[in-house]
Amino acid sequence: MDSAKSQACTKRTDTIDPERWVEEHGDCLYRYALLRVRRPEVAEDLVQEAFCAGVRTFGSFRGESSERSWLCGILKNKICDYFRKLGRETCFTDLEFLEDELSHKFVPQGFWNHDLGPLEWKPEAEVVMHRNEFWETFKNCLARLPRRVADVFMLREMEEMETAQICDALSISPNNLWVMLHRARMALRECLEMNWFKGHSPGGSV
Amino acid sequence: MSREYDPSPEGNPSVLARRNRFQTALVKFIGKRTPKCREVVRILSQAMDSKLPLSMRIKLRLHYLICAWCKRYEKHLHELRKFASSVPDHTDAFSEDTLSPTAKERMKEALRETRRK
Repeated sequence: MDSAKSQACTKRTDTIDPERWVEEHGDCLYRYALLRVRRPEVAEDLVQEAFCAGVRTFGSFRGESSERSWLCGILKNKICDYFRKLGRETCFTDLEFLEDELSHKFVPQGFWNHDLGPLEWKPEAEVVMHRNEFWETFKNCLARLPRRVADVFMLREMEEMETAQICDALSISPNNLWVMLHRARMALRECLEMNWFKGHSPGGSV
Repeated sequence: MSREYDPSPEGNPSVLARRNRFQTALVKFIGKRTPKCREVVRILSQAMDSKLPLSMRIKLRLHYLICAWCKRYEKHLHELRKFASSVPDHTDAFSEDTLSPTAKERMKEALRETRRK
């Protein structure tokens, strides 16, 4: 029993091969970091930090997820830390974004204008996620958001940071955060619908 | 006084539409007692980040009966989340950038260093 255990342990430490990590996952992690922090030198540093943290904490890797998503999880934490250090007050011009832009979607009584309300998205999310062109569209839609609004959205939805932590990290009030997240979601939803689902849904069902 | 708004026009895909007098009364009743769509979309975004009070969750459920659009909106917010969390698996669509060979070497060196410690 004990020997089986120790054998398993040896096997685990044997499988750690950080140099292979760099070859196999380096580019993927780098692209993710680059999307998030936009500066190549910062992205490189973050990836390196993530790898090093991976070496140090490899013992806690249970193999429940793939090696890549485990490393990606570490990288996400590093990205959160980066934004924490960066934290500064949001530029208020960002918040003016979309202030009234989508108001034409609603009638004065506050209901949806039925001709402009959300469409049925077809094909389903699971299906479109396999299409490279979809991700092109997704990227372009993200890029249309004001930078800080995009940062907040991605911290929340990609790094899965808690809202209270985002407020702390970026020193923004909870209220501003709600507004930013709401507008980011609204704008992204709209952009995906207009630039992807509308063109791809058979018959453009309303 | 503004003309009464018809929350349920012809061809409305919602569960409850004004198909008869009973439904019409119900649609109006729910329309008056649940938040308006413009407000609902704001609340739905909040619901992605914190748990709403039960009373609000019930109101939303009722609202969905008369509003297929808000129901779709909610579904779309969840799909957005799914998309966002899948980004790491699709980074090649985001850029073609790669780590330079020197950057990779530097990383390997740093990793060897870390392992020695």
